[in-house]
Amino acid sequence: MAEEFNTDSMFSMFLFESSQLLEKLEGIILEKQDAECFDDADINEIFRVMHTIKGSSGVMMYENITKVAHKLEDVFYYLRESHPEDVPHLELVEKVLAVSDFITAELEKLKNGEASDGDESKLVEDLDEFLGQIKGEIKKQGIRLPKANKQEEPTQFYVKPVAEEDSHFYKVVIHYRNDTQMSNIRAYSATYALKEVAEDLLYTPEDILSNEASGDVILAEGFHMLLQTKISKEEVLELIDSSEAEKIDFEEINAEQYGKELVELGREVAPVVINLDDGVKPAKDDKPAPGDYVVKSKDPGKGKTLAKHQPKQQSIISVNVEKMDALMDLIGELVIAEATVLQNPDLKVPGLDLTNFQKAASQLAMNTTELQQVIMSMRMMPLTNTFQKMKRIVFDVSRKLDKDIEFEVIGENTEVDKNIIEHISDPLMHLVRNSVDHGIEEDANERIMLGKPAKGKITLEAKNEGGKVYISVRDDGKGLNAEKLYEKAAEKGLIDNKPMSDFTEKEIYRFIALPGFSTKEQVTEYSGRGVGMDVVVKNIQAIGGRLDIDSVLGAGSEMTLVIPLTLAIINGIVVQVGNSPFVLETSSIKQFVRMTQDSLVQEPGGEEYVVLRGEYYPFIRLNEKYDLQDACSNVDDGIVVVLEHEGKQICVLIDKLLQQQEIVVKPIPSYIKKVKGLSGCTQLGDGSIALILDIAGLIQDEERR
Amino acid sequence: MKILLAEDDFATRKFMDKQLSQYGECDVMVDGEEAVDAFMMALEDDEPYDLVCLDVMMPVMDGYQVLKAIRGIEAQRGIPKKNSVKVIMTTALNDERNVKLAFELGCEAYVGKPIDVEKFEKVLNKLGLI
Repeated sequence: MAEEFNTDSMFSMFLFESSQLLEKLEGIILEKQDAECFDDADINEIFRVMHTIKGSSGVMMYENITKVAHKLEDVFYYLRESHPEDVPHLELVEKVLAVSDFITAELEKLKNGEASDGDESKLVEDLDEFLGQIKGEIKKQGIRLPKANKQEEPTQFYVKPVAEEDSHFYKVVIHYRNDTQMSNIRAYSATYALKEVAEDLLYTPEDILSNEASGDVILAEGFHMLLQTKISKEEVLELIDSSEAEKIDFEEINAEQYGKELVELGREVAPVVINLDDGVKPAKDDKPAPGDYVVKSKDPGKGKTLAKHQPKQQSIISVNVEKMDALMDLIGELVIAEATVLQNPDLKVPGLDLTNFQKAASQLAMNTTELQQVIMSMRMMPLTNTFQKMKRIVFDVSRKLDKDIEFEVIGENTEVDKNIIEHISDPLMHLVRNSVDHGIEEDANERIMLGKPAKGKITLEAKNEGGKVYISVRDDGKGLNAEKLYEKAAEKGLIDNKPMSDFTEKEIYRFIALPGFSTKEQVTEYSGRGVGMDVVVKNIQAIGGRLDIDSVLGAGSEMTLVIPLTLAIINGIVVQVGNSPFVLETSSIKQFVRMTQDSLVQEPGGEEYVVLRGEYYPFIRLNEKYDLQDACSNVDDGIVVVLEHEGKQICVLIDKLLQQQEIVVKPIPSYIKKVKGLSGCTQLGDGSIALILDIAGLIQDEERR
Repeated sequence: MKILLAEDDFATRKFMDKQLSQYGECDVMVDGEEAVDAFMMALEDDEPYDLVCLDVMMPVMDGYQVLKAIRGIEAQRGIPKKNSVKVIMTTALNDERNVKLAFELGCEAYVGKPIDVEKFEKVLNKLGLI
């Protein structure tokens, strides 16, 4: 792991490694929280983690972290050496978590550029006391105390660079107009003006006075300066004579970047040419070596040129998310453009020989599909870390509320878009907390009376299905009481006096997501302020998802977040109804059938069903639903498509099939009122607009009737 | 305390000289080779330095080479570890691999530029120099 990040600064490396270790630590703890005790492997691992953190924080000179880590290391040292029995396991777990929390909080402070000033004395005292207790236990059990854990003071130290607080760092590039005379002299006067206010100034090309040819370089590549100063951007710009400048690129950077730029600027400015053909023999290892940083030519105060030119090979680059989004949009457009070319009406001239064209076309189609997959995979991350956090929450809250809860995680390796991960973390936390706090019964006897195991169970499950991510939190607790929910909502005036029969159970469950609704009289520390659920729903809707609530009174409830994958390119089949093209997602199509009028059944209420191999399916005529002219209304002439979503099936009548193609889903513009049963639209090869059917919406709509 | 400072940048040199002179006599060098020469000379005269502060990017020899040379000379002369000179690298190169390299070559501390004066003093304290 460390290898991949080795171009990071020492400081960020420390933060990264430490938080990785802490995560691992929490993983172990939470896995073993319910066990009788830690096994040898765990004790060793925790000891090692603490040892490493102690060491690295010592080198970085964060003494409070070092002390705490050292104490906990001590505790585990004794456990490792003496194997005492009867160690109060839960207490130990709590101690480890307390330490992990403390260090995490300190790391967070450091990350935000604050000083690590947390007071460790209380925690160290606690640990000391606990250690004493363990030692006593060891003696009592007649095991000889091991030699005291030898404390090695670090002998090497690292001091992170600081920026003076009010110093600004700027990266300035002046581009002069092409016809500027003596641009080198102009550049010199710019540096001269800045020298007065600069704490540090580096520029390239550096031989502006001694080498007249540098003027050409300045005209071609611009004049690059790195400036550290106390004055503001405006004042700097005022000092630079900009009369002949065509453009001045001005960028404020932070101290760390400045350090990096400093080194970069020292390098020869010639672009690094990477020749892909000869396979870029990777440098044996790209570690620096003594002698790599000899400065070749040196004028004090100017950029440094290193004797040895070392093109850096990076295995990881960070990319602005906006650029990724733009790339994704472009790929969407590309897919549309591809369709426009491949299905161009011009190709439909009879008698054209398209053999070679078709070959090339299939090649192109393959490549664009691959391109999509690559960009998708670039944005995907497993949910493992997010789920890990949930484990911790269940542990904390259940301990505080004194509930015995088993927590199961399914599908934590499910990969979802990074964007989604960022957005679901908080909502998920709310749901999990709610399940522990409100879902599971306070009294274990209550559970036993209902024939459930005394231990409550919460399941967190993630899966990828049909272009959507499903993340559900399931508990086997009390379940939601529809009647109570209804009363409460009525009492709060949230549902203007409609009778309860107006709502389906699911709709009533959804009341808990209304702003200002909370069924608990008593607000607990963890949930019940009535602000949680509506925020959850809002957050989820912001990324185009929804929250499904399902519950059985007395048996438990299930909250499911349904979130679309962001890259909205689906494989679809284009069909025609009347004059309008529609798109059906290929994965939801079960079959196409020709039917006769007599397999239709009509209910007195007007709903129609088809009988297919003895099964009844709801039947929808798209032409009636969306008021389309000139569509065939006779089942004998059209085609019936059986669609499936989450195990529910529905049939729709269409006129004819057009083609199969990659579909770029675009949202229906907001100026069009939300139409039921449509999830978006797309542009077809001939430039016309097709509507995408939302199967889930259709089924839901049908159920409601 | 005798201090050797190798730093090729004028502004930094001036600053470091001022800073270090508080703790003792400070000899200032402008490139790596001079630094090794000065270190050697001090050993010859039996007045070794207590502290060496090295910039990394310098003409002729870089800081790592100087550090390596110093540790080499000490090893050759059989100077025990506890008597070896304390070396602090002062540089704008803060990549983890640069720091690791310096630690492997045997420096006592690695201080990033711009220098955190408060912590710098703390390091000197920990190294038992002040």
